[in-house]
Amino acid sequence: MKVLAAELCLPPGVVPLLLVLHWKHGAGSPLPIAPLNATCATRHPCHSNLMNQIRNQLAQLNGSANALYILYYTAQGEPFPNNLDKLCGPNVTDFPPFHANGTEKDRLVELYRVIAYLGASLGNITRDQKVLNPNALGLHSKLNATADVMRGLLSNVLCRLCSKYHVGHVDVAYGPDTSGKDVFQKKKLGCQLLGKYKQVIAVVAQAF
Amino acid sequence: MDVSSCLRGPSWMVGSKRMRMASNFRWLLSTLILLYLMKQVNSQKKGTPRDFKCKTQNLQVWNCSWKAPPGHDGVYKVCIENRPHSCYQSEKGNVKIPRLPPGDHEITINLSRGLGSSMSKFLLNEKNVYFTPETPEILTLSADFPTSTLHLKWNDKGSVYPHHSDVIWEIKILHKENTEIIKLITHNTTLTGKDTVHHWSWTSDLPLECATHYVGIRCYIDDRHFSGHKQWRSSDSQTKVFPQDKVIPVGSDITFCCVTQEKVLLAQIGQTNCPLIHLDGENVAIKIRNISVSANSGTNVVFTTDDNMFGTVIFAGYPPDIPQKLNCETYDLKEVICTWNPGRSTALVGPRNTSYTLFESFSGKYVRYKRAEVPTNESYQLFFQMLPDQEIYNFTLSALNPLGQSESTILVNITEKVHPHTPTSIKVKDINSTAVILTWHLPGNFAKIKLLCQVEIIKTDLVRELRNVTVKGVENSSYLIAVDKLKPYTRYTFRIRCSSDTFWKWSKWSNEKQYLTTEAIPSKGPDTWREWSSDGKNLIIYWKPLPIHEANGKILSYNVSCSSDEETQSLSEIPDPQHRAEIQLDKNDYIISVVAKNSAGSSPPSKIASMEIPNDDLKIEQAIGMGNGILLTWNYDPNMTCDYVIKWCNSSRSEPCLMDWKKVPSNSSETVIESDQFRPGVRYNFFLYGCKNQGYQLLRSIIGYIEELAPIVAPNFTVEDTSADSILVKWEDIPVEELRGFLRGYLFYFEKGERDTSKMRGLESGRSDIKVKNITDVSQKTLRIADLQGKTSYHLVLRAYTDGGMGPEKSMFVVTKENSVGLIIAILIPVAVAVLVGVVTSVLCYRKREWIKETFYPDIPNPENCKALQFQKSVCEGNSGLKTLEMNPCTPNNVEVLEARSIVPKIEDTEIISPIAEHPEDHLEAEPENHVVVSYCPPVIEEEIPNPGVDEAGGTSQVIYIDVQSMYQPQAKPEEEQENEPVGGAGYKPQMHLPVTSAVEDLAAEDDLDKTAGYRPQADVNTWHLVSPDSPRSTDSNSEIVSFGSPCSINSRQFLIPPRDEDSPKSNGGGWSFTNFFQNKPND
Repeated sequence: MKVLAAELCLPPGVVPLLLVLHWKHGAGSPLPIAPLNATCATRHPCHSNLMNQIRNQLAQLNGSANALYILYYTAQGEPFPNNLDKLCGPNVTDFPPFHANGTEKDRLVELYRVIAYLGASLGNITRDQKVLNPNALGLHSKLNATADVMRGLLSNVLCRLCSKYHVGHVDVAYGPDTSGKDVFQKKKLGCQLLGKYKQVIAVVAQAF
Repeated sequence: MDVSSCLRGPSWMVGSKRMRMASNFRWLLSTLILLYLMKQVNSQKKGTPRDFKCKTQNLQVWNCSWKAPPGHDGVYKVCIENRPHSCYQSEKGNVKIPRLPPGDHEITINLSRGLGSSMSKFLLNEKNVYFTPETPEILTLSADFPTSTLHLKWNDKGSVYPHHSDVIWEIKILHKENTEIIKLITHNTTLTGKDTVHHWSWTSDLPLECATHYVGIRCYIDDRHFSGHKQWRSSDSQTKVFPQDKVIPVGSDITFCCVTQEKVLLAQIGQTNCPLIHLDGENVAIKIRNISVSANSGTNVVFTTDDNMFGTVIFAGYPPDIPQKLNCETYDLKEVICTWNPGRSTALVGPRNTSYTLFESFSGKYVRYKRAEVPTNESYQLFFQMLPDQEIYNFTLSALNPLGQSESTILVNITEKVHPHTPTSIKVKDINSTAVILTWHLPGNFAKIKLLCQVEIIKTDLVRELRNVTVKGVENSSYLIAVDKLKPYTRYTFRIRCSSDTFWKWSKWSNEKQYLTTEAIPSKGPDTWREWSSDGKNLIIYWKPLPIHEANGKILSYNVSCSSDEETQSLSEIPDPQHRAEIQLDKNDYIISVVAKNSAGSSPPSKIASMEIPNDDLKIEQAIGMGNGILLTWNYDPNMTCDYVIKWCNSSRSEPCLMDWKKVPSNSSETVIESDQFRPGVRYNFFLYGCKNQGYQLLRSIIGYIEELAPIVAPNFTVEDTSADSILVKWEDIPVEELRGFLRGYLFYFEKGERDTSKMRGLESGRSDIKVKNITDVSQKTLRIADLQGKTSYHLVLRAYTDGGMGPEKSMFVVTKENSVGLIIAILIPVAVAVLVGVVTSVLCYRKREWIKETFYPDIPNPENCKALQFQKSVCEGNSGLKTLEMNPCTPNNVEVLEARSIVPKIEDTEIISPIAEHPEDHLEAEPENHVVVSYCPPVIEEEIPNPGVDEAGGTSQVIYIDVQSMYQPQAKPEEEQENEPVGGAGYKPQMHLPVTSAVEDLAAEDDLDKTAGYRPQADVNTWHLVSPDSPRSTDSNSEIVSFGSPCSINSRQFLIPPRDEDSPKSNGGGWSFTNFFQNKPND
């Protein structure tokens, strides 16, 4: 697996995720160059029933997304639960698009971008919430579990792209880093991201 | 974001009013003087310098200026009169001169113009000099946005002033430039002759980001002066809410603002709406008072616009509490561990949580508390590396969070606060069979102290022993102690804990270490006994296995030997599990020795003599146990020098019988025999032996039970003999095994009953029909039951009992024989009675024959003597054809017979009868319905009664029978009743109303008479059946109707027979009756 990175500008929450995913130091955001016909080599043989696994992982994420969303905005305190439209609306800029009517290859590539974006953002949220809500262990647990599934899903999607479509690299983009923002902005961006995640994952799970 | 200050000159005047008036006055005075001088000068010379005045900024140099005449350019020469070197030249209209001393000074100004010149003179006094201080220089104006604090720094330029003086600084804060002063303060300082930088800070209620702030400063020394000002302004145009992420104390007030270009519709903290305060433009603010404690994630404050919400988070919490229960100790004298309780929660978490610093003042070193990222059940503790040669530590624990700090201190001598780690690596090594070496490892630098360690020794039988030992401490090494006074061949469990000798806390117990001490020779010989075999040829030797504390090891074998005066015979070794040996011996006296052997050696021998010392005085006694044992007592015998032995066996076993034995010291006089083999209800034989000179003598033989139970069988009994009134029962003994206790007696029950119908129910319930005999003489084996009924079935029950209870019952049915004598008597007695009655009757009849004859068989009267016939005769006179009485048709006659009581004097009868005889008709008419008038049917009258009185009454006669009761009646009549019946109460009462009383009285007492005057039974109703029904008695008025009964009585016929002779007293008897028969003596 090889990652071509033009710039090594790493949002703090993304580093662990990328290290796990790409096994190479220096992966960063964005990854602008991703030739679809690049040489693809997987470290391990892909699972025989990969698409089923992907579907199951998507279903698992879709099934837990709403609970995570509720758990999150509840933990942020009032008035978040009563102003979801303005505080937690899915107004996330730069969110990777997903077209459910595309080819499987296109859908997989878009899915990869979506999950990569979500995974990085989830890392930020997890980091912020551990500082902000250190006692909300349930929320931490659910965030970590979701991130774990996303890592597995990302690996499977890449494996599928590699094995079937010989796509070894997908350029991805990440959301804004929240480390320098004030607490309210962290809360709001996290809530918006999870609202968007809940919305998108339903569409994505349906598409597969 | 820029910050600037705007300094202004005298454009704004704020100052002391008093100072302002003084300066004006001086100014006015100076002006007047100058005007006066100028007027003088001008009046003398025109075109010369004028308006001379001086001012200063530093009091050292006076800057004097004047107005030059127009069009007169030249060089001015200014001279101060009377002062050397005091002329100054200037081409302009001013000159700087050094400060002049107080007082008037004449100033001459010469203007040189070409060839001409002009001169002007002025008087100058210091009072006319203006002093305006140097303009304050604002060095910096900075803003701390998180705390909304402005920091102002300026220089007072004190070095330019010649002497110390007080300075008043006036600082103002403005929101809108020059228009809205939000803060104005004065600040006093002193000039020290050198430049000094002053600081001043101000915290804004409104976040600094919310509006532009201006700061101005001026100072006043001797005169007023304005300084400039600087300003700053934010250039951020994004909507933001301030302050951001601020931590504030619970209960404080705070203002939030929203800097925005959009219109803010609503502001709320949490769910609570807040009123908006409008600021510049669209900026708004809200003020929160007495804010409450925040949740972990803070309190959200949001401002709502049309399509968005902006907000900030505030964290309201508490400053750290004083750390409580601060305690410092050491595990190893290398490191000090301090623990504490944080006290009240601050409600602040994450980066706002309390941080702790442990500072040691003697060394100046400190350590900081690092909180785990993932919160757990935090234990608040800090480790501080000990310093060499330092034993006293003064720790200060500081707690700090964004809202404040607190601290707690403790001074400890750390050598007295040693709480060692848990000892490890426990090892045990032999010294001998009763001592071991115990080693362990204890990490820590204890070289300077002594350790107090505690060894716990647990024996196999769970006996726990603690031993304290003090060892000298070493550094990170093992410790070794010897543990003695142990038992050989015993498994011990060791564990250790330690503390310092100045005890503070014990360490935790180490792991346990088990160890088995080595063997030693058995300390005693086995407990030995002997029994002769049943044939008396062999001696059986028994011994008991040694207890572990005496065996001191594993017993491998026993050596048995017997010795006499002549020889010693040794048997082969007997392996351990066997505890019995049999030796063929003669009846000589031998000493038997038994030795136990283990791997360490042989025990001392146990010796016992083969023969017993005879005892002729031996009795068998009984004893009862206590459930789990039996107490045996005996009298102390000083002759018994060895010990006592009690052996016992089950009494049902054959000889030689030995279950077990027990040795008791010779000074004892009692012992409790206990054994797991003892069972309740089993009879045991106990034999007490005394020992003297190694010979045993049987002292007592005891049979006993550990616990008595009820017999399990009933005694077999039979009926030996049966008679008409007794039964002889005989029974057998119950076997000892089934008796299960000492027999205390029998209970014999018997009752009448048939086999099929009667069962001996509820023997214990005390039924009265059951007879019980308690036979306490246990030797009695027969019982005769007497006083029974003949030819009757009896149910017999027999049961035995012990102190343990009643045994089962055995029953039997027996029928007694028939009683012939009784039968004979039963026949003979009625016969004899009948004969006797007949004889008596015959005698009576014989003796009363005359009376009987007169009564029952009177002489038939001669009809010729009958008056009636005589009447008829007279009527029918002349009718010679009629010679006999014509009875048909018979007309019924009323016959009234009055019978007087025998006890009533006869004259009364006469008196009573007379009225009736005289007025029979009246009486009948007066009470026509009175039932006491009894009509008798004539047909029952078998004999015609001649009654002249009746005949006189009319042709038809009616017989009215009124019984005059016998002599019983006065006794049956209660006296009260007599009183209530005055009329009828006195003696005999006629059974018709007799007109004894007056007619008036009759009317008044008519009702009573209804009840009393008529016929009534004159005796109790109950007596009616005893007396003749022809003598009804009046009892009381209530029984008048119901108890009367039928007066028709056949017997009454007998009384209708008139006495043979009216004059004869015999006829007064009222006829024959049994009453008369027994109570009225016959005439004889």
